[in-house]
Amino acid sequence: MPVRATRIVSLAPSLTELVFALGGGNRLVGRTTWCKYPPEATRVPVVGDGLSPNVEAIAARRPDLVLLYRSPLTETAARQLAGLSIPALILRHDRLADVGRTARLLGPLVGDSLAGDSIGRIFDSIAASVPPPPRARVAFVAWDDPPIILGGGSYLTEVARLAGARNLFDDLSAASATVSLETIAVRNPDWIVMVDDSGGDSVRILRAGYPALARRPEWQIVPAVRERRFLALPGTLFGRPTPATPRAVAVLRRALEAAR
Amino acid sequence: MKWLVFLGISAAVLLAAVGLGPTPIVDLLHSPIIWNLRVPRALLGFVVGGSLGLAGASLQSLVRNPLADPFLLGLSGGASLGAVIAIAFHLPGPWALPLAAFAGALVAMGLVFRLALAGGGELDPRVLLLGGVAVGAFAGAITTAIVSLADATELRNAYLWLWGGLSAASWQAVLVLCLYAPLPVVVLLASSGSLDLLTLGEEPARYLGADVGRVKLRVYLAASLLTAAAVAAAGVIGFVGLIVPHLGRALWGVRHRALLPASFLAGGALLVAADTLARVVVAPRELPVGIVTALIGVPFFVLLLRRWTAY
Repeated sequence: MPVRATRIVSLAPSLTELVFALGGGNRLVGRTTWCKYPPEATRVPVVGDGLSPNVEAIAARRPDLVLLYRSPLTETAARQLAGLSIPALILRHDRLADVGRTARLLGPLVGDSLAGDSIGRIFDSIAASVPPPPRARVAFVAWDDPPIILGGGSYLTEVARLAGARNLFDDLSAASATVSLETIAVRNPDWIVMVDDSGGDSVRILRAGYPALARRPEWQIVPAVRERRFLALPGTLFGRPTPATPRAVAVLRRALEAAR
Repeated sequence: MKWLVFLGISAAVLLAAVGLGPTPIVDLLHSPIIWNLRVPRALLGFVVGGSLGLAGASLQSLVRNPLADPFLLGLSGGASLGAVIAIAFHLPGPWALPLAAFAGALVAMGLVFRLALAGGGELDPRVLLLGGVAVGAFAGAITTAIVSLADATELRNAYLWLWGGLSAASWQAVLVLCLYAPLPVVVLLASSGSLDLLTLGEEPARYLGADVGRVKLRVYLAASLLTAAAVAAAGVIGFVGLIVPHLGRALWGVRHRALLPASFLAGGALLVAADTLARVVVAPRELPVGIVTALIGVPFFVLLLRRWTAY
């Protein structure tokens, strides 16, 4: 029987959000600069940017559980924390399937196992559901020069599929990739979709206030850019896999239906 | 004859760059992908590569050092710092990043220039090299500091830009570069005779009637301004400016009347060929072109070195 943690440090925005959803938010004593959701998270002290964990800053919070995002740098940090007798968990949390699994694992450790189970069941049913037939073809653009798109290995590709949209670059297994502009033009997405970190939580169809790439001459080759077919997904809701994913799917599906 | 073959190779490389891509194009003459993406990209690549080759050949003669390349004099460090500042501080508009890179290169150039004049009234090539390395390292440290404090995606994007690429090519960019480049190019080509004398050493050049101080100043400023524009257009593309002049000397000898235009053509052809590979080999993904120039250029350079040391 695992002991419930009372002082938790979370070093990934998605894990911070999950801790709050599991009811462990009031026992969180450290977070990264990027953990801004839910809004209550911003009251938790910052211990670094999470990319290369600052072990001293973490230890200073006297945690009895540290949640780390899987990367080579965090594995070093986990070893150093173990040397200080601070228990650390390294979690992969990139895809839809990770949310339910992580929720069941963390439930008894940070909140209660009932909450973890109920989140787990929601994601089981999402995994078992048949996605609607794709009615919109989209490209997720992460950067304009060089053009970087999200590939099939990204979480947003899964969200799009559940919402009835197909990521035209789902044939690339990477989460993101640099591609040539002419490939984007030839695949001809109905919508250019971008994650917008400026705040708010509804999907916006951009007709005015275009993203920077709309003003770039070379991007005019893409019909969706010429026709200003841009969708901005709010980063608060779409930025990472979370228990709020079902809401993100519903919001995106409604936006795509309204946008047609 | 040699020139004809060389012009033929350049033309073939340009045609291949327009004809080859991640997606086959049926109607070559009417496709907007050809006319609005591939043609301006090939032309921009040719002018950028040519500028780097020409600037490299001129600077190697100026500092009488075969290791010199256009970026050794601190320009890449300055340009990178400018670019990273533009990304980190979200300067708006498609021209913000190239302009910031250009400004950064000019600031670095000014600092190195000031250092090299410190000993007296004339440019000292040794101080030019050392000053370039120092200014480049200093700018690099500030760049890394900014990148390490910026968030993860910005960090990756900044590094990708630094590795160079021609994905931002457009007719506007070609037009701007073609209005800008001719002046420094002509200044460098017109300095051929003086550079021939300068390779003999500064004292002999002076006895033979060269105005050494003015030649050094002219060549340094023209080569740096040309490099700054190349960086603004396509990021820091390594090895072209280092390797191409050596290739030129192997084929054309050390006379600058032939070496300088040959370096321009060879630099242009090499960069366009490398960019074609960068676009096609891993399609639909794309490699940073600086990686391809290094992968092609370095083995080639090693071969040249073996020939060189065999004498």
